[in-house]
Amino acid sequence: MTQATTAIPHAEALARLASGATPTLRKSGLSRELLLERYHPDHAPAAAATLQIGANAGERCHPTLAELLQANALIDGFDLAGAEQLSTDVLVIGGGGAGAAAALTAASHGADVIMACKLRLGDSNTVMAEGGIQAALGRDDSPQRHFEDTLRGGHYRADPLLVAQLASDAPDAIRWLIELGMHFDVTDAATDGGTLRYKQAGGCTQPRILSYRDYTGLEMMRVLRETVELDPAIRLLNRCPAVELLSHDDGSCAGAVLFDLEYQRFVVVSARSVILATGGCGRLHLQGFPTSNHYGATADGLVLAYRLGAKLRDLDSFQYHPTGIAFPSRLAGGLISEAARSCGAWLINGLGERFIDELAPRDVVTAAILRECADGRGIERDGRIGVFLDTPRLARQWPEGIEHHLPALAHLAAKCGIDPATEPMLVYPTLHYQNGGVVIDGEGRSTVPGLLCAGEVSGGIHGRNRLMGNALLDIIAFGRRAGQRAAEDIGKRPLRRGDIEHVYSWQRTLVQSGLPRQARAPRLYPGPGHYPLHRNERSLA
Amino acid sequence: MSNTLRISIDGKEKEAQAGDSILQAHLKGDETVTANIGCMGQGVCGACRCLVRKEGERETATRLACETLAEEGMQVSFMDYYQPARVSRYGLEDIRDGWEWMKHLRDVFPEASNCRHCSGCDRACPKGITVQEGIALASRGELQAAAEVFDACIMCNLCTLACPENIRPNHVGLFLRRAHAAQTLRPGDLLRRLDQQRRGELAIDLSAVPTAQGERA
Ligand SMILES: Cc1cc2nc3c(=O)[nH]c(=O)nc-3n(C[C@H](O)[C@H](O)[C@H](O)COP(=O)(O)OP(=O)(O)OC[C@H]3O[C@@H](n4cnc5c(N)ncnc54)[C@H](O)[C@@H]3O)c2cc1C
Ligand code: SF4
Ligand code: SF4
Ligand code: FES
Repeated sequence: MTQATTAIPHAEALARLASGATPTLRKSGLSRELLLERYHPDHAPAAAATLQIGANAGERCHPTLAELLQANALIDGFDLAGAEQLSTDVLVIGGGGAGAAAALTAASHGADVIMACKLRLGDSNTVMAEGGIQAALGRDDSPQRHFEDTLRGGHYRADPLLVAQLASDAPDAIRWLIELGMHFDVTDAATDGGTLRYKQAGGCTQPRILSYRDYTGLEMMRVLRETVELDPAIRLLNRCPAVELLSHDDGSCAGAVLFDLEYQRFVVVSARSVILATGGCGRLHLQGFPTSNHYGATADGLVLAYRLGAKLRDLDSFQYHPTGIAFPSRLAGGLISEAARSCGAWLINGLGERFIDELAPRDVVTAAILRECADGRGIERDGRIGVFLDTPRLARQWPEGIEHHLPALAHLAAKCGIDPATEPMLVYPTLHYQNGGVVIDGEGRSTVPGLLCAGEVSGGIHGRNRLMGNALLDIIAFGRRAGQRAAEDIGKRPLRRGDIEHVYSWQRTLVQSGLPRQARAPRLYPGPGHYPLHRNERSLA
Repeated sequence: MSNTLRISIDGKEKEAQAGDSILQAHLKGDETVTANIGCMGQGVCGACRCLVRKEGERETATRLACETLAEEGMQVSFMDYYQPARVSRYGLEDIRDGWEWMKHLRDVFPEASNCRHCSGCDRACPKGITVQEGIALASRGELQAAAEVFDACIMCNLCTLACPENIRPNHVGLFLRRAHAAQTLRPGDLLRRLDQQRRGELAIDLSAVPTAQGERA
């Protein structure tokens, strides 16, 4: 993490801001490309490693992630001996929005579904999303523009086919959510059944973010959770993390091994298809950055898929959201949604200047903030460094705006002990999103037969930078696609007990490549790694 | 800022710094936390619900551990998540028919009319939602107003645990919210766009893929 050697004291910066002079936008002097190259965390020397084994051998990967991807499994054949046996058509792993959409869609297409969650259904990144979801509905907008904005935002590195599906699935995804009972903010209720309210997002040529206040993810997740819990075709297993996948002789996916924390035992689930929906990896705290992610975001899905032979992509590309909380340290990394900037809040450095177009793509804004901090124009408060998010100016221009349209911001500021109408918040970039992930086709299929992926665990949809609102869309659009594909494959895929032959061959590869066999993954939970599963440690040595 | 304080969590003594939340104090031990944790401070997942007794007080209160500051001498116990024996079952068809809204509510949540106004739910709610009022509005048939009351509910189920009549107030609230959206939300812009797509308009032209070099105007 680029930390400032010097910074401007908080009191001094505050006084400058309060003087009332209208901040000017300083000329950058660097092209966007150079700004990214010099200041974005992905480009730091500490962010580069090369994978030695597996489907992506020889490719670039973040070193922290590479360690996990090239680790040994948590279990051995020994562990499966006394395990409980279950079987189902479709096993969904991960209880966020992508998993819920996949499970509901598979069930509605006639599949029997088991859903395994590491925490509880809904304890996820999805429930935390605030800003909203993209869908091109406006008169001057179109799926084509959405498609082009997304490709441009992702620096032309996304898979155009997936992006086209994302953009054209959007209206029906919103309809599906409304049919399940999700609310969206409306304007003009008087005309024409109303029009959904559109917010502007950074990097978009049209305002197209739909939202429910600023807790869109909460509204989405509580509706999805209730629908899943009430669906008789879905069996929900909470606190049952997937610790390994199962394989058939031909290398295809045969199900997964779960660890049931309640009963402290392994559960073997045989399935015709497995849908991985385990989300992202913020809790790996890459390069020491704070994170906005929930507790379970530890890259488990990537590790499981990779060991089974699935191809991954863009493993060196992460989104650092520009506006994480910098002060107080208790809340460091917590997200201040882009909504504040879309509503017009400016970023101000310690000299009282604006230094970047606040609605430029996120990676650019992040690099610009890191540059200010690295060059000593950041602001320091009790050892924490950042720049100001100028909410007081917003409040003066738009009285009631904060309270009414940004209640989560108001709530957050209160937790920081700040009145956003009079005092700016101190912000610093936070690790937010995994841009890459498992390679999928248009129906969520990975390169391993029987293994599908949806949501943040998958890659290719957002290229190397994701636009606000495209993740919530992606989890619904591709969650539904994967769920439908898995259900339609019921007749084509066997329901036989699999094995962990792929783990044995992985272990041989580790030995041949001189990689350590002691490191184990998936991580499952952040922190010291003392949980009951590790009773088995001795038998593995 | 750096004064240390002691609190007891699930019977274990923990050290915390002033300014830590209960959840942060909980994470400091050498055991890995595998339950009662999710969003870690945003206060939206409800996983970290707990009973809190402050030093010198007799009463316990229900709180979210990630949103409550640790205090010297506090006693905390986390509350397990459980699936109540009698889950109110309803299907999507039950929330889609606006004319039968009230009947469906009665069928799915027959207990809702038994509220004895004990305020247990209000005291239990860590979000300050006027749960009892929501249930009163629902039983009077003021369904939209009732739905509105639960707008910021995080579904922590504390009101459900507290209710002696097994009313499951937050699930009543969500039922009404879902029904309201599913029945009344018909935005004109969305209908038009779906219709255009159905007629095959607005298909995406993949050949128009913009590139970094030659971007289309
Ligand atoms: C604070 C915040 C705000 C955001 N705001 C927005 C926004 O406004 N708009 C937008 O589009 N996007 C937003 N995003 C991004 C978006 O919310 C996520 O990318 C998206 O919700 C991911 O959904 P998912 O279902 O793929 O993963 P998640 O919702 O994270 O769900 C994954 C689930 O899988 C579980 N899991 C993990 N490992 C295992 C395992 N081994 N076994 C079983 N289960 C496992 C996890 O615990 C979790 O419950 C935001 C993200 C954050 C963190
Ligand atoms: S579930 Fe009940 S207690 Fe919890 S937030 Fe909702 S209304 Fe309040
Ligand atoms: S706890 Fe139950 S009975 Fe008591 S006021 Fe609330 S809803 Fe009514
Ligand atoms: S951890 Fe999510 S509400 Fe506390």
